[in-house]
Amino acid sequence: MQINPDLNFIKYLKGAGGDTLKKCYQCATCSVVCPLSGDNKPFPRKEMIWAQWGLKDKLVADPDVFLCHQCGDCTAYCPRGAKPADVLGAIRAYAYTHYGFPSGLAKLTTSAKNLPLLIGIPAAIILILWYISGGMHLPAGEIDFGHFFGHWDFKYLAKTTMFIDIIMLPTVGLALFSAYKGVSTMWGKMCEGANADPVWRPSCGKFMRDFLWPSVKEIISHDRFNECGANKDRARGHKPLMLAFIGLLIVTTYSFILKDFIGIVVPSLHGPLSLWDPFKILANVSAIALIYGIYILWTNRSNEESESGKKGTFYDWFLIYEIAVVGITGILSELTRLAGLPVLAYFFYFCHLVSIMMLFLYMPYSKFAHLVYRTFAMAFERYRDSGFIAGKSEA
Amino acid sequence: MTDAGGASPMGAVLVVGGGISGMTVALEAAEVGKDVFLIEKNPYMGGRVAQLNQYFPKLCPPSCGMEINFKRIKNNRKVRMYTMTQIKSVTGDAGNYEVTLETTPRLVNNNCTACNDCVGVCPEERDNDFNFNMDKTRAIYKPHEMAMPMKYVIDAKACTKCGKCVEACKYDAIDLDMAPKTFTLNVASIAWSTGWNPYDPAKMDNLKFNESDAIITNMMMERLAAPAGPTLGKILRPGDNKEPQSFGFVQCAGSRDENHLEYCSYVCCMATMKQITYIRERYPEAPIYVFYIDLRTPGKYENFRAKLMDDPNTHFIKGKVADIVPEDDGSVTMVAENAVTGEKIRQNVDLAVLATGMEPAAQGLAAGFGAEVDSNGFIVSNEDKAILSAGCARKASDVVTATQNSTAAALKAVQASRR
Repeated sequence: MQINPDLNFIKYLKGAGGDTLKKCYQCATCSVVCPLSGDNKPFPRKEMIWAQWGLKDKLVADPDVFLCHQCGDCTAYCPRGAKPADVLGAIRAYAYTHYGFPSGLAKLTTSAKNLPLLIGIPAAIILILWYISGGMHLPAGEIDFGHFFGHWDFKYLAKTTMFIDIIMLPTVGLALFSAYKGVSTMWGKMCEGANADPVWRPSCGKFMRDFLWPSVKEIISHDRFNECGANKDRARGHKPLMLAFIGLLIVTTYSFILKDFIGIVVPSLHGPLSLWDPFKILANVSAIALIYGIYILWTNRSNEESESGKKGTFYDWFLIYEIAVVGITGILSELTRLAGLPVLAYFFYFCHLVSIMMLFLYMPYSKFAHLVYRTFAMAFERYRDSGFIAGKSEA
Repeated sequence: MTDAGGASPMGAVLVVGGGISGMTVALEAAEVGKDVFLIEKNPYMGGRVAQLNQYFPKLCPPSCGMEINFKRIKNNRKVRMYTMTQIKSVTGDAGNYEVTLETTPRLVNNNCTACNDCVGVCPEERDNDFNFNMDKTRAIYKPHEMAMPMKYVIDAKACTKCGKCVEACKYDAIDLDMAPKTFTLNVASIAWSTGWNPYDPAKMDNLKFNESDAIITNMMMERLAAPAGPTLGKILRPGDNKEPQSFGFVQCAGSRDENHLEYCSYVCCMATMKQITYIRERYPEAPIYVFYIDLRTPGKYENFRAKLMDDPNTHFIKGKVADIVPEDDGSVTMVAENAVTGEKIRQNVDLAVLATGMEPAAQGLAAGFGAEVDSNGFIVSNEDKAILSAGCARKASDVVTATQNSTAAALKAVQASRR
């Protein structure tokens, strides 16, 4: 067997939190103590040697890399301090960049050096549009973020709503397209790796029913997180955070439909929701859950880093900062709006828009990408064990 | 060797620990004319080797090599031997140490002839630590079959001082009021040959040592296989005395692991292979599974390994056992990943042997008395201070290596004494 090690890949992993990977001596303790690893080709022992050998093509096509939840049991029992959990995290970070489209933007998201650009691009876009909109002045009277980008009398689509659409819809569109492209490439590679015959595939409906939906249900219930030993506490932060995102997604979708579609027929719907509107209540509860969740994850990670003395990675912290800023600016803009402080309210609202745009824009390349890649890897795991593939290998 | 020049020795040597290494240091130094004080914490000499069923290089029973050393010690007036004795303090410096020692009362004096009459009347029992608590002795007992000195001893913790043994003893050998004895020696050099302890298997929580009788250590296996052991040499499962139908070995149990012993304990691979021969003598067909990371079979031991691997019922699997599951029928299931095939293996066996490593026995103690100790707890020889280390106190090693470096330590001790 000829091995073509990719030295740059090894270098990348070492820089991205996998600096310990060369310590591994293949005792396979990790594959046994991992609570998530199955009996057939368990992980992460094989991933460790592939990483040592620089076999990046094998790794980015390996569903097990994404099935890892970084419980840390492997790291706790590792006799060599090779920290398989961190190495797999670094491989995932690499994979998101590898599958990212456009690749320039994906690469930009990998380094703290690029933070001025990462923040600057969305900030400049919003600032320019704000300027063009003519809404860049302090409001007279009650603060209404519905007038942030100005106001006109065209009753079928509010001016601010239109500007928000101009900013967010292409951003979300790009993110969804990139995620789709990345996931479908990954799926193809995983099928190749598993020797799946692409001629015989499940229908879309069957795929959703048998593979994707059970995975989503499993993710929401946090079953795998709960099997974790060493880092069990993370589920305590991840669960409220994930539910908060689902809650905010519902509110945003509701608001989008309300303002962009129903608003055309019933113009009176424009304007902020009442504080006692059920959707507003959901939004506020979600905001608090989001801040609570990210607080737990933040403190967990900083405690873990101060205990182990290891340096945090940009990959891990960028997402934590992004979410924290989204949550904090959201809450602050609401509070300053209610308190009637226009300067602060507009400032925080601007920051809030920038941070939301960042979250969407960089979703497919940052750690946030686990949202799609892990979900589909879990679906692939079910697919791999189903009759579509499992039956084949016996034939 | 004759006493060189016949002159009186310029300085005595204190040897701490009376196992195979300590006896070697003591004899090599004494046979060139040094005065040697050999102290031992246990009530018997011989240390870990005395507990083995057989030992390398020739798979002799310990009665073999040990017996020669015992005889040399008995015949050499230069060696003064103190059992049940430990260091209390060390003052002075190289060439001129003053060492205070304390002897715990044996409660049995030199009149003892090992007639065994006392054991029959003693009503109290104690766990037999020589057999790793797999059986019991009376509170008054013979340390082991070939104990040197051949004198009984009373476990003060178990004894209630009922006095029945005193009545039974025909030789007036039992003194229940014997007091601890403190004494001082002046020596030129100190050689630490304090050996090793088996690493505590309970510290590896995933190996569940305390949760099943079917999980034993390699040293317990030595006692099970020894003719004078708790099962008289039959290898039976502790607890239910079942004849095991299958065996498993867990290599590197605690060794090469930064959470336990960072270093390779050197002997465990060969110990396991030796124990496979014990099993084969008694159970010619029983399947044996050895889970390992790497096998350390230096030099000619390669042939030994090759021969064992030819056995179709002995399976070597590359992959460390990281979980052991006790089963209801008394067996255990060992879980590992075969790192060659990438399959997870769940192997059920009737008896699992943890190849636990060597932990230096006296690391804290020696450091407290001026010895230099490395990061793994092994004692570093320092010729300038005339504090030396020998055997497994110096590094994890087999008997051959231990006796070699003990001879080297003896030479250094002699040189330090002549300065």
